[in-house]
Amino acid sequence: MSKIILTVDDSASVRQMVKFTLSDAGYTVVEAIDGQDALAKLASPVNLVITDLNMPNLDGIGLIRGVRANAALKGIPILMLTTESQESRKREGKAAGATGWIVKPFTPQQILAVVKRVLG
Amino acid sequence: MIDKYRQAFDEEARELLTGLESALLELDEKRDDGEVLGRAFRALHTIKGSGAMFGFDQIAGFAHNLEAVFDRLRGGQLSATSDLIALSLAAGDQIKFMLDEAAGNGAADPARTAGIVAELHRLTGMAEPAAAAAPPSPAASGSTAGPAADWRIRFRPGPDVLLNGTNPLLLIRELRQLGELGVTVDTAALPPLSQLDAERCYLAWDMVLRTAAGREAIRDVFIFVEDDCQLSIEPLAAQPAEPDATAGPAAKPNTAEARAAAAAASSIRVSADKLDQLVNLVGELVAVQARLGETALRRDDPEILEISEAVERLTCALRENSMSIRMLPLRPTFERFRRLVHDLSVELHKEVELSIEGADTELDKTVIDQLNDPLVHLIRNSMDHGIETPDARRRAGKPPVGTIHLSAQHSGANVLIRVSDDGRGLDAEAVRARAVEKGLIAGSAPLSESEVLALILAPGFSTARQVTGVSGRGVGMDVVERSIEALRGSLEMASRPGAGLTVTLRLPLTLAIIDGLLVRVGEAYFVLPLANSLECVELTREDIRDAHGKHIANVRGDLVPYIRLAEYFGIQRAPPEREQIMVVETDHGHYGFVVDQVIGDHQTVIKSLGRLYRNVQLVSGATILGDGTVALILDPHRLVQNAIQTVGQASACRTISNRHFRSFKKENRIDGTQVKP
Repeated sequence: MSKIILTVDDSASVRQMVKFTLSDAGYTVVEAIDGQDALAKLASPVNLVITDLNMPNLDGIGLIRGVRANAALKGIPILMLTTESQESRKREGKAAGATGWIVKPFTPQQILAVVKRVLG
Repeated sequence: MIDKYRQAFDEEARELLTGLESALLELDEKRDDGEVLGRAFRALHTIKGSGAMFGFDQIAGFAHNLEAVFDRLRGGQLSATSDLIALSLAAGDQIKFMLDEAAGNGAADPARTAGIVAELHRLTGMAEPAAAAAPPSPAASGSTAGPAADWRIRFRPGPDVLLNGTNPLLLIRELRQLGELGVTVDTAALPPLSQLDAERCYLAWDMVLRTAAGREAIRDVFIFVEDDCQLSIEPLAAQPAEPDATAGPAAKPNTAEARAAAAAASSIRVSADKLDQLVNLVGELVAVQARLGETALRRDDPEILEISEAVERLTCALRENSMSIRMLPLRPTFERFRRLVHDLSVELHKEVELSIEGADTELDKTVIDQLNDPLVHLIRNSMDHGIETPDARRRAGKPPVGTIHLSAQHSGANVLIRVSDDGRGLDAEAVRARAVEKGLIAGSAPLSESEVLALILAPGFSTARQVTGVSGRGVGMDVVERSIEALRGSLEMASRPGAGLTVTLRLPLTLAIIDGLLVRVGEAYFVLPLANSLECVELTREDIRDAHGKHIANVRGDLVPYIRLAEYFGIQRAPPEREQIMVVETDHGHYGFVVDQVIGDHQTVIKSLGRLYRNVQLVSGATILGDGTVALILDPHRLVQNAIQTVGQASACRTISNRHFRSFKKENRIDGTQVKP
């Protein structure tokens, strides 16, 4: 059974790129447009969350905190998409419980390598 | 493949720009509205991020400047002015032109782009933010090819890594892809099951990786957990290119030299003084532990008891360990005698072979060191007095080559060392003649075998007809006996006239500590060596009555003679209803010692009694108990021997007068047992 990855981004182009890349590699990809949408979609099983940090309604940090506060989602890996200018946000994300990060801009190969690292 | 993304980006960016525009217009009305500022920021952020991703570097760079400004606006470090809003609107338009240019429609004016950026910096007072020089993202920094090297990687993840979604196994797997990996798991931090939290990580890993990849590539694997773990990556083999490689703690022992060094490290020379100190300290520790044990037992506090038991286990292990450090095999000592025997054979014109048995028996170093001289003496005696010349041997019907047999064997807490020869044995007549000559005995006195042996042990006694270069200079067996006694050992001789002499040395394994049984008689405490103790049986008044006054107990059908310690040592006390007999194995068979109470195991540091009591032979030392009381350590062999001698003298007296014997017994407060037939 292929692993399910939830990509959370308010940018459709980023979501698309993540989706194409990971689908090609054999993962099942579910999309969410922001943190709130993501929390709703996490009701069904998901193996990995890849989330942007800046999003309306509920941002990435809020999503990470939400996931970590939910006992049913214990230990699920969460990758955050950051830019280099967001060092403090990255730390905030780590503190909230993110597993790792992907620095934007990234290539399909990079995202695959990182997904493999946390998902196996 | 990228093209389809570019299309998607173009559409999205235009949408975002529309959103940005309306946000900016809104902002003109409510300057500090966080929600509006956030919308504008996110729009620019996404344009920047996605733009860079899909190859719109100019747009990304430009948007980055704007994003930085809005980040500060959002954070309240800047406030929106109408000039700034107007400039932002113009910037939005400029991004549109750039998108058009990328799509192949017209051209964006680079000067205008630069102008907007400069104006932005003027308005906000912000310097050009450091160019977002994309540092390698985790996976990007691939392996920098180089010669394969070994790295030691110590990885101890923080306790919460599992909760944060990290699976350490995957990291190790990823390392394995870099090269050849050896992994050792460290479970030292693992708590007992009852305290184990399944969601925490208690494990650590020690790995050796042989890879062509550099330190960065290895570090990169751990980039996500770096802050939450203890990680050390050190080169193992010396690499001139790596400056810190030489500082690496251990070079991999793959060269012959390194192996030799490792072999040398497996055994080190330590001065005997240090070992003695160690043993002394362990001895003190044993004493303190005994006190702790007794205190714990008295307090009856389960917690202290538990600790005390743990300390006892450790002390016991430590004691055995430090003792074993001092233990040496007898072989080197024994082997040295081959030369001695050879040289003496030549000198004495005798043919003698030395056979050795049990040379791997180990003894305390101190004992071995002091054993050499007595053994040399015994062997010289055998060669000189015992073994005959080849001619004499032939006449006696023996093979012309004599044999000296040197053997060692364990016997409880003792080691028995025997020197036996197949010579003529003790010449009772020669001993006697010599004794008369020396004035030790009257010429007519009859001599028993034991008296002959006793004479040999008299100071300055030698039967050698002449002073040879080998023996007979008046330094006799008494010196041997004294040095053996100094080692808390004993010496026995068994002579087979015409067939040889066997001298047996009984030596304690170690001098410092013994395992003993603590017993009580009245108010006095004694320690009996545990190695000799066989069992403990009850002695009731009925048993005493049934024995009709004889000091013999029936232990499962065996008759065991016993000694009442209370009477033996003249201890006044009201005898308890039930006494205990400690059955002890001695050189003379099984004997019982009657005590009031057997208290239990007692690891005992032997303290000497001091010079004043040097001649007290029944006691091999003393020890200090938990409450400070002194307990004497008994020597069961001597006790029994002493009792037998006394009774032997007594039975000799008995032939004269039975009543006299009784009074003798009473006077001496001795209650010997074995009644020789």
